[in-house]
Formats: sequence, C-alpha cells, structure tokens
Amino acid sequence: MLTIKNIESGYGKVQILNGANLTVDQDQIVALLGGNGTGKSTLLKTISGLLKPWGGSIEFNGERIDGLRPDQIVRKGLVQVTQGKEVFPAFTVEENLKIGAFSRTDRAAINDTLEHVYSYFPALKEQKRRRAGTLSGGQLQMLCIGRGLMSAPKMIMLDEPSSALAPQVVLNIFSIINRIRRDGMTVLMVEQNVRMALLLAEYGYVIKDGVIHIEGKAKDLIHDDNLRLSYLGGTVADRQKETTS
Amino acid sequence: MGFFFDLVMIGFSIGMVYALIALGISLIYSGLDIVHFAHGELYMFGAFFGLIASQNMYLPYPLALVASMVLTGLMGIVIERVFYRRLTRAGGGYTVEGMGIIICGFGMSIFLQNVAYLIWNPMPRPFPVNFGMPIEIGGILFPRTYLWIVLTALGLMSLLHIFLKKTRLGLAIRAVAHNKEISFLVGINVPLMISLIFGVSCALAAAGGVLTGPINYVQVQMGYLILIKGFAASVVGGFGSLPGAILGGVLVGVVESLGAGYISGNYKDIYAFVMMILVLMIRPSGFLGVQVKLKA
Repeated sequence: MLTIKNIESGYGKVQILNGANLTVDQDQIVALLGGNGTGKSTLLKTISGLLKPWGGSIEFNGERIDGLRPDQIVRKGLVQVTQGKEVFPAFTVEENLKIGAFSRTDRAAINDTLEHVYSYFPALKEQKRRRAGTLSGGQLQMLCIGRGLMSAPKMIMLDEPSSALAPQVVLNIFSIINRIRRDGMTVLMVEQNVRMALLLAEYGYVIKDGVIHIEGKAKDLIHDDNLRLSYLGGTVADRQKETTS
Repeated sequence: MGFFFDLVMIGFSIGMVYALIALGISLIYSGLDIVHFAHGELYMFGAFFGLIASQNMYLPYPLALVASMVLTGLMGIVIERVFYRRLTRAGGGYTVEGMGIIICGFGMSIFLQNVAYLIWNPMPRPFPVNFGMPIEIGGILFPRTYLWIVLTALGLMSLLHIFLKKTRLGLAIRAVAHNKEISFLVGINVPLMISLIFGVSCALAAAGGVLTGPINYVQVQMGYLILIKGFAASVVGGFGSLPGAILGGVLVGVVESLGAGYISGNYKDIYAFVMMILVLMIRPSGFLGVQVKLKA
C-alpha cells in the first residue's frame, strides 16, 4: 500500500533522512523504531506532506504522492496523527472530531463515521461537549486518533501514541489500535516503547542515521540483539568482546 | 452635554473605521503570525479605488464601496501570493523568516506609496458624496456620513462574524488561525485559506478607506497614520482578538475625540498612542486579549 524508496529529507539545511526505504502492506501494522533524533518523525512528516522530500519517491496505492500538499494526501486516504497530541483547544471534543472530516462532504456518512469513532472511544462520547483544551493526556491521544479516523482513511500513521501516557492508558490505546486494524485499517506506527510496539505490529523497521538499519518480522526483532544494542549503543560483536574480557 | 455627546458620536464613527483596520491587522496576525506593515497602503488604495469608481465611473456610493473592497481584496491576494508566500512558507512569528516578512511589509508600504504617487499625484483629493441633509440628534446637526460609517461598519462586522462562525470556509479559516499543521492534516488547503484571510483583511481596510474618504481628503499619505492607529487599536483591544479589535477601535476613536475636544485639538493623534502605551504597561494582552505564555 505504501512504498518509500530512497527518501531524503530534512529541516532547513539539516538533512535527516539519507535514503530510507520502507514498505507497508494492506491491513498490516508496521512499527518504525529508533532512538531520539534518528528521523522517525521526519519520515512520517515527509510522507504526510508536511515536509517536502529532497529526493526519492513515495507511492501510496500505486500513485506517487511525494510533493503533494498534506491536504491533498489526506484526500487520497493517508492520514497522520502527530506527536504532541495537538487539538483545537477552543473547540469541543465533537467539533474537533467533526473537523477531522473536513475533506468529506457526505453528511450522513460523516455521522456514521462519528458514531463508529465513538464506539472505539466511549470516553470521548461522554465528553463530547467538553472543550478540548481541558482533556487529560490519554483523552487527547484518543481525540487525535479519532480525528484522524474521521477522514475515513485507508491508512493511518501514528507518531508515538504512547508518549507521556501512563502504562494502563497505553495498554488501552494499543488495544484500540489493534481493534481498528482488525476492522480493516493499515497502520504505520512510530514508537519509543519498543516492546509494546513489536507485540502489536507484524513487521518492524529500525531507523538509524537517517536510513533503515534493521528490519524484519516483529516476532524476530523482539529477540534481536542488534536491535537492543542499537538503542543502547554498540553492536553484538562489541558486547561479546565485553563479556569475554 | 450636547458637546460631549457630539464628540462621542464622532469618535465612535471614526472608531469604527479604526476597528475595520484593526480587524484586518488582527486577522492577518492570527492567520499568518505577522504584523502587516503595508496595511495602511491597502486602506489608501481602497480609498482611491472608491474615489475613481464614484467620480470617474459614476457608480453610486454603495456600489463604489463594494467594487473597491473586491478590487483591493484581490490586490491583497496577489501581493500575498507573489511576495509574502515564499516568506511565510518557512514560518512566521518569532523567527528569522518572520522578521523577513515584517521587513518586506515595510518595503511593500514604501513601494505601494510610490506606485500611488505615480498613478495619482500627491495632491489631496476631495471625495464629495451627497448623503442627504444632516440629521438632528440632541439639538446638534450630524452629517449623515458619520451615520453611514457606523451602519456600514457594523454591517461588515456582522457579515464577518457570520462568515467565520457559520460557514465551512470560515471554520477552515479559524482552524488555520489556531494551528496550521493540524489544519493541513484534516484536509484544509492552508495556503488557500491564508490567501483568503489576506483578501478579506484587505477588503476590510478598503472599506475603511472608502468610508473615511468623504470626511477627509483622499491622498497618498493617508495610510501611514491609519496603520499605527489601527495597530494601537489592536493592541488596546487585544492583539489577534477580533472582538478586541472592535473594542479597541471604538475606545481609541472615542478617547481621541474627547481628548481633542476637551484637552487639545493640536496633538489629536497623540491620544491613541498614549492609550497604547498605558495598555502595554498595565495589561499587555489588551482588554480582550488572551494571556499567552511563551514556551521556553
């Protein structure tokens, strides 16, 4: 569904991505992992159009989308939920959700989607008239994911859905993400919580120095020493040297 | 008592014009994160367009007003698209690029003044419009111009309010003013909305120009003072706040008029700035502004 080839991108004059390659198939959950500053968010923003790629190609459902405006990409069915749980604080929960459907015009279908989103997040339904600026971290995350779903996308990209959330809340959100996928959604998820991400995902990519460093099936990556050490520093060979010396 | 009332009414009318300018400045600020320093020149061009439509093309005054608003709005969109767009792309506000836009605004102001000099020479021109007999209120004869100004300005503000609160486009503009990134990600064409914000703001400035035309002369330099008074009105009411722009405009207009009437008419322009300085010292966010905490 999504194919990224040799993507290069960055901010201003600073290059972050140096030729990353990544594929997401339909109905998969794919995890994108890596330490801080390695380019995970940059990659998502380049895919969603918030950043213009400097080189390489991005294909979604057979169409090239690199260079398009973010709102055009949303209309093609690819939506990003950013890090930072940003909402429109002066609008109510329901208004925030409804504005997620801005790209759609069919009132009845939009209301159906709204009810569908409320079925995933009953807590949001309870608070629907509350001003979004007063919500808790977990509720904000649910609102952001819900808003992304409102555009009826074919694929959703989540940027660190677990960040700054209590473990119980994280479990709740991840189980909802799983439900969303099972109902027919493709998910690309950037995560710092490696373990939880690899338990949920089928396939994983690890990004380092702006390129994909390691990739593989999630159940293999969980046990991969290289992955563990790429977060802590060093390689398997170094570690072996340490333990024998 | 009659004198006081007279001053208040005049001040309220002029205040409505300040409010129209302040609305444009606040709209542009909330949408583009910049202070538009060429806004006074759009007001001036609006006045000239209105003058030409009325005198040379013999359009009735209301039609001249609408024509000027449309033309100046389009002019504003062209300026934004051609000059400011590549600067806003990189960011606004407290950034190097934001400074670039501000400086570009200064340059645009000088450029537009000189274009106006070339087209219409520096001579101030009268904008005579027959509004009918003056109205008598409280024993004082009021030229109808002032009534027109108040009614038209209120009408435009109501239209703006309905547009922003009740239409889809208005919702998109409010979203863009809040958060451009999220607006993009819900499918809003942000660059188009920014152009629209600019166009609407310039149309409001043009309305201000056409409304003031009959009271003062229309001349190339009229934009300079109106910009800083509009700016002062924005600050007094709360920068970036639309109700604040209206309140600020009215307050500045009334205080200025009372000051000129009771204290001294020689330094009439000073009262607006004294108000602005006082507000900045006591409550910098303005009467209706939101206290914003700068994130470190």
